[in-house]
Amino acid sequence: MSATGEALVEFDGVSVVFEGQVRALDDVTLAIRKGEIVGLVGESGSGKSTLCRILVGLTPPSSGTVNVGGLPVHRQLAQDPLAFRRRAQMLLQDAVASLSPRMTIGRALEEPIAIHKLPRGQTLEQLASILRRLGLPQDVMAKFPHQISGGQARRVGVARALLMRPEIVVADEPTAGLDVSVQGELLNLLLDLQQEFGLTYLLVSHNLNVIRRVTGRTAVMYLGQIVEAAATRDLFAAPAHPYTAALLSTNPAVDPRKRHKPIVLQGEIPSAVNPPTGCRFHTRCPVAQARCASEPPALVEIEAGRQVRCHFPFSLLKSGSDA
Amino acid sequence: MMPLVSIRQLTLEAATTRGAAHILRGIDLDIGRRRIVGVVGESGSGKSSLAACLVRLLPANLSRIDGEIVFDGTDLLGLSEAAMNAYRGTRIAMIFQDPMTALNPLFTIGTHLVDVLRRRHPGLARKVATARAIAMLRRVGIADASLRFSSYPHQLSGGMRQRVLIAMALLVEPDLLLADEPTTALDATVEAQIVALLEELRHGFAGSIVFISHQLGLVAQLCDDLCVMYGGTVVETGPVADVLGAPRHPYTRALLACELDDDAAGGHLVSIPGDVPDPVSAHVACVFAPRCPHATNACRSSVPALRDAGPGRRAACMRMEELG
Repeated sequence: MSATGEALVEFDGVSVVFEGQVRALDDVTLAIRKGEIVGLVGESGSGKSTLCRILVGLTPPSSGTVNVGGLPVHRQLAQDPLAFRRRAQMLLQDAVASLSPRMTIGRALEEPIAIHKLPRGQTLEQLASILRRLGLPQDVMAKFPHQISGGQARRVGVARALLMRPEIVVADEPTAGLDVSVQGELLNLLLDLQQEFGLTYLLVSHNLNVIRRVTGRTAVMYLGQIVEAAATRDLFAAPAHPYTAALLSTNPAVDPRKRHKPIVLQGEIPSAVNPPTGCRFHTRCPVAQARCASEPPALVEIEAGRQVRCHFPFSLLKSGSDA
Repeated sequence: MMPLVSIRQLTLEAATTRGAAHILRGIDLDIGRRRIVGVVGESGSGKSSLAACLVRLLPANLSRIDGEIVFDGTDLLGLSEAAMNAYRGTRIAMIFQDPMTALNPLFTIGTHLVDVLRRRHPGLARKVATARAIAMLRRVGIADASLRFSSYPHQLSGGMRQRVLIAMALLVEPDLLLADEPTTALDATVEAQIVALLEELRHGFAGSIVFISHQLGLVAQLCDDLCVMYGGTVVETGPVADVLGAPRHPYTRALLACELDDDAAGGHLVSIPGDVPDPVSAHVACVFAPRCPHATNACRSSVPALRDAGPGRRAACMRMEELG
C-alpha cells in the first residue's frame, strides 16, 4: 500500500440535497491519495452510496467541489465525459444484476471497447490477459449471466472495470453476499491488482473485519457527514468519535478472549429530512452533553492524520474503560 | 435428560433438470432442552433447509424426504398435515430473516400479536390478549407500546419490526424457536440492539432455540452449542466454546482461519480453495475432501461417520485422531 503524497481525489465541502429537503451529504471533505485504499463505513442512510456516486460523476453535488487528478469532476464530464468515465470506475454491489441477462459475458465485456472507441485487437488481447489473471476460463465469454456463479460474476465486473485502465476504483460492498471461504480470495485479487496496476480504491463495506485488514485509512459516516477519518490502525485501536466506538464495538469476535461488551446505542439513525439540531449524533450518543444539542461540531484535525466531528472526542472510550 | 429434538439420518432431495439435488445428506443432530444451538455454514450448506424441515415448510419440488425428526417423542415426519399444523405457531415458532416481508402490510401490529396469542390459547379473551401483547411489546423494547399496537408495519423501522417478530415468537411460548438469520437484514448498531435483546430474553425463555447464522462471532457470543454444516451434512457439533477453541474437523478449522478478526494487518487473506460441492453429485465420499488439504484416498472413496470427538462433541472426519 504505497500511497504517495499526491491527492488523487479531493472532496471539499461537498453537500447533496435531494428534492430540496433530503440532505444526503452534508459538508463532506475527504482526500484520497494516489495508491491509497480508503475504507468507507456507516449504516444505511449515512450517505456512503451518494459519496461514491459523486466520485464517479453519477450524481452532481449541490454545493462544494470534487476534484479527480486536480480537475473538477463536472468540468471533466463536460469536456470529455468518456475520458472521465475511464478514469473513475465503479464495482457495483450486485454483480449479477449489473450484467444484462440478454447479453453474453463476452458481449458485455466487449461493449465498452466500442463505446470508448478503444483499439479493438489490442484491447481484446488485454482482456484475455485480465481474464486469465482473474482465473476466469475463456469459455465464460460465451455464457449468459445466469450460467455463471456469483463469484465469477464479481470477477467479470472487476474485468470490465480494469479494461478501462482506471486510476480510481470505487468498490461498493465487493464482498457482500460472498461466503467467507471465497471472500479472502476476492480481496487478495483486488490487492494484487492494486499493486500491479497502481490503482487507488475507495472501498465501501459493512464488514469491519474487511475494512481493518485491507484499508490504510478509514472514514466513518453518520447521517450524511464524515464523523471521523483516520489511519485504519489508529481508528480501530482507539476510536475518537462515540459513534465510531459504538460501531466498532458491534463486531463480535469469535475468540472469547478478544470479546468485549458491545456499546448498545438507543434508537435508530434519524431521518435525513429532519436531522437533529447541533451534533447529528447527539440523540443517540451515550456521552452527549448540553452543548451537543445546540452547537454542531466541525470536522477538526485533533491529531496528525485524524479528523473528528465531536466536541468531546475519546469521551466514550474513556467512560467505557472506566465502567 | 432426553433432548427436545433428535434428528436422525434426515435426508432431503429435490428434483431438478440435472437430476436429484441432495439438499440434506443424512443429518444427525440433537437439540437439548433450554439450549441455544447455533447452526453455521455457507450458502448451500443446508442450514435453512434444516430449519424448514423442523416446521415442515418444504419446497414443492421435493422428491424424497427420509429419516426422522423426533420432537418430544413424536416423529414430525410421520404426522399428517393437519397434525403437523397443530405444532406450528404453538409448540414450534419461527423468526424469519427479513422483517420487511414477514408482517402482513394490511394488518396492524396488534392484530398480528393478538392472532398468534389466540391461536396458542383459543379461549383467551380479546382484552386479556391485548394486555399481554402490549406488555410483550414493552418487554422487547418498543417505546410507546400501546401506540405502536395500532401501527401498521410500514410505520415501523426495520429494527422495530424485528422486535415485533420476536414479540410474536415469545408470545407463543414455543418449546422450539427457530431463528433464521434474524439480524442479517439490519444495520450494525440495530443488530447490536437485537442481539442484546436476545441475550436478555433468553433467561426468561424455557424453550430451545435454533439460531441460524453465517456469522461465527455472533454464534460464539449467543449460543451454547454449535452445529457446523457443509454440503448438506453436519461436519461437527459440540459446545460452542469447545468447538471454536479446538476444532476437530478440517472444515471448521478452515472456516475459523477465514475469519478476519485477528489484528494481523497485511499479508494474504485466507480463503478455502475450490468450490462448494455440487448438490447433484452422489454422496460417496467426504463432502469436504475436494477442498481439504488433508484428504487421502480413503476420504475420497467412503463417507466418514459423524462420531464421538470428545465430551458432548462429534465430528465427521476419518483422520481427526491423526490430525489432532
